[in-house]
Amino acid sequence: MAEPLLEVKGLSVDYEVGAGTFHALSDVSLELPAGHVVGIVGETGCGKSTLAHAIPRLLREPPARIRSGEVRFRGMDLLTLPKWKLPLVRGTGISMVFQEPINSLNPAFRVFDQLSEAVRIRKRRETGQAPGVVPGTEGFDYSKREGPKPADVLARPLLPSGPEARKGFSRVLHREDFREDALDYLRLVRINDPETILDLYPHELSGGMRQRIMIAMALSEKPSLLIADEPTSALDITIQAQVLTLMKELIEEIRTSILFISHDLGVIAEMADDVGVMYAGHLVEYGPVNDVYEHPRHPYTKALLRSAPNQYKADGPLPSLSGSVPNLSRLPSGCPFHPRCPLAKPVCSDDPGPVLEVQKGTAVGHVAACYFSEEVAGLP
Amino acid sequence: MGRSKGDLVIFVSKRLIQLVAVLFGVVTITFFFTHVAIPNPCYVWSGPRATQATIQQCIDKNDLDKPLLDQYVLYLGKLLSGDWSTSPRGVPVLPTILAAFPQTLELVVAALFLMVVVGIPLGVIAANNSGRWSDHLVRTFYLSGWATPTYLGGVVLSIAIGPLVGLPHSGNFGSIPTFPEPFHMSVLDALVNLNLPAVVDAIAHLILPATALAFINLGIATRMTRGSMLEVLPMDYVKTARIKGLSDFWVLYKHALRNSLISTVTVLGITAGSLLSTSVVIEEIFQWPGVGRYAFESIVKYNFNGTIGVVIFFAVGVVVANLIADILYGLLDPRVEWR
Repeated sequence: MAEPLLEVKGLSVDYEVGAGTFHALSDVSLELPAGHVVGIVGETGCGKSTLAHAIPRLLREPPARIRSGEVRFRGMDLLTLPKWKLPLVRGTGISMVFQEPINSLNPAFRVFDQLSEAVRIRKRRETGQAPGVVPGTEGFDYSKREGPKPADVLARPLLPSGPEARKGFSRVLHREDFREDALDYLRLVRINDPETILDLYPHELSGGMRQRIMIAMALSEKPSLLIADEPTSALDITIQAQVLTLMKELIEEIRTSILFISHDLGVIAEMADDVGVMYAGHLVEYGPVNDVYEHPRHPYTKALLRSAPNQYKADGPLPSLSGSVPNLSRLPSGCPFHPRCPLAKPVCSDDPGPVLEVQKGTAVGHVAACYFSEEVAGLP
Repeated sequence: MGRSKGDLVIFVSKRLIQLVAVLFGVVTITFFFTHVAIPNPCYVWSGPRATQATIQQCIDKNDLDKPLLDQYVLYLGKLLSGDWSTSPRGVPVLPTILAAFPQTLELVVAALFLMVVVGIPLGVIAANNSGRWSDHLVRTFYLSGWATPTYLGGVVLSIAIGPLVGLPHSGNFGSIPTFPEPFHMSVLDALVNLNLPAVVDAIAHLILPATALAFINLGIATRMTRGSMLEVLPMDYVKTARIKGLSDFWVLYKHALRNSLISTVTVLGITAGSLLSTSVVIEEIFQWPGVGRYAFESIVKYNFNGTIGVVIFFAVGVVVANLIADILYGLLDPRVEWR
């Protein structure tokens, strides 16, 4: 198989704050092949968002500190890339949708200003007017879409033809040149009356609308990799459903590569091809989403699945796990889950802890970090 | 849309009506302060060798023997009719101030310009590197400005640094342009007359006094910018700007600064007003022919009419500066409504 689009190897991130050093990510490794949707699931505080922010190096350093590891994106190691080169990778290379749509659009600029800025960055890179990662072709197949809009976006010649061509590459792109593109992307995210929306300020829009605009903005750069960091968590339940439906449709229409972060097992099941389960900064299980859900090979995954309210049972409270998530500044030795694990044996607390191992008798690519993964199936 | 041009017009007119009340208060307070503190300045005005007759003449001329309230009403009537009276020596107040005020305005605007051009980027740099050496350096710089007494900064610049770098400084202001002066602002006048050497000369004259004035107040702009940038930088929309692929420069100076400026502008508006009064000291040190020097002289020589006239101009300056700040505030933050 070809080189994966994104390869995270042994990534460890600490937060150094007054109260001590918090190990937000410990030795996380995962691969994201082009065109795949990978979900990351876990509880609040397990390091999902840190992972999402560490990949495009959006963490504020300090307090965050990348201790070790490698983030290879299209062959480049983003962790060793000089700081000034990072913007060249962002946008057209890696784009991101954040958790809180209320805060993620700049309150001082109109929607058009913000959206056209994204389109402008992509176009300038495509035409070679500005340096930067050019949107890849891998994972971008707009042809599946029936409507003309995204196809139009792609089919429009990148280089001007006719009299404009004579002016050559250096033709300065003006704001108004991007109006049509901006409208296209707003239509792509199913916004009615995009002409009006373009001239509004973010505070004049609802949360769901802002999140759609964020998605449009991210997609308008045609990123090779889109990171969605809990894009629906901050929305109320009906809007959540709308945005999820939209994202699901978009995933089917535009086969782009997506890293989808969520704490919602159901959402991940709907969206993702592969899923990674995180616990206390560790990736404890990884594999094709159906296989992981049906045959979990890590006791934490099993417990997480069991506690999901996917069927409304009349009898008793939802099953929950005894104990609580370990303090990230004082992680237990060995496997981080062993103090709460029903299968724990003395060996589990020995350093170094278990590593991700291929699981026999499951689908290809299913790995789990547990010494007793064979016994997980027997748990209640 | 919550705002229209009409809102702005209503907003500005309301403020201008308020200005009338402010001016009335300012004139009243200054009038009574001066006249109660020194009930009979004629002894000073007429000089040490004046005879009783000259002093009596002076008292009669200035209505100083009338009750204070009558004097006040008389003076107010004169003010409203456009006659701002004269100084004890008979120099009319209004034309003097009209000629001097633009000079001060030029100085204050130049100082504000320096504060914006130097102070705000320094604040951005400090916030972006918070906790590192550049942050400490910037903070030391602006705190030293802030801690410097107004006169000391001016004197040091005028006596030590001015001659050192060869800029026109105190007592060396002989080359102020003398051609027709439509605005009484040397840089603007020289520009209007397309006289390039005069422009350079006028700017050279401006540098030291403006620097002295700006250095003292730089801390306010830098500190406000740094503080609000520190609040803005962790916001999600800054991350959005970064993830778009914008370079650090645009992230900081477009997306983050635009939102931080809101508080900086408010403070700069207030500072602009106080710069006018700080200019009294600076103008005296640099012998700048502005209204600050006139204010100083008026106070020292018991020139009540001159003092009140200057105070009126300063009050207008303060109100207008704040009005401009409020308008800018609305322009910077679309969520603000002008009311």
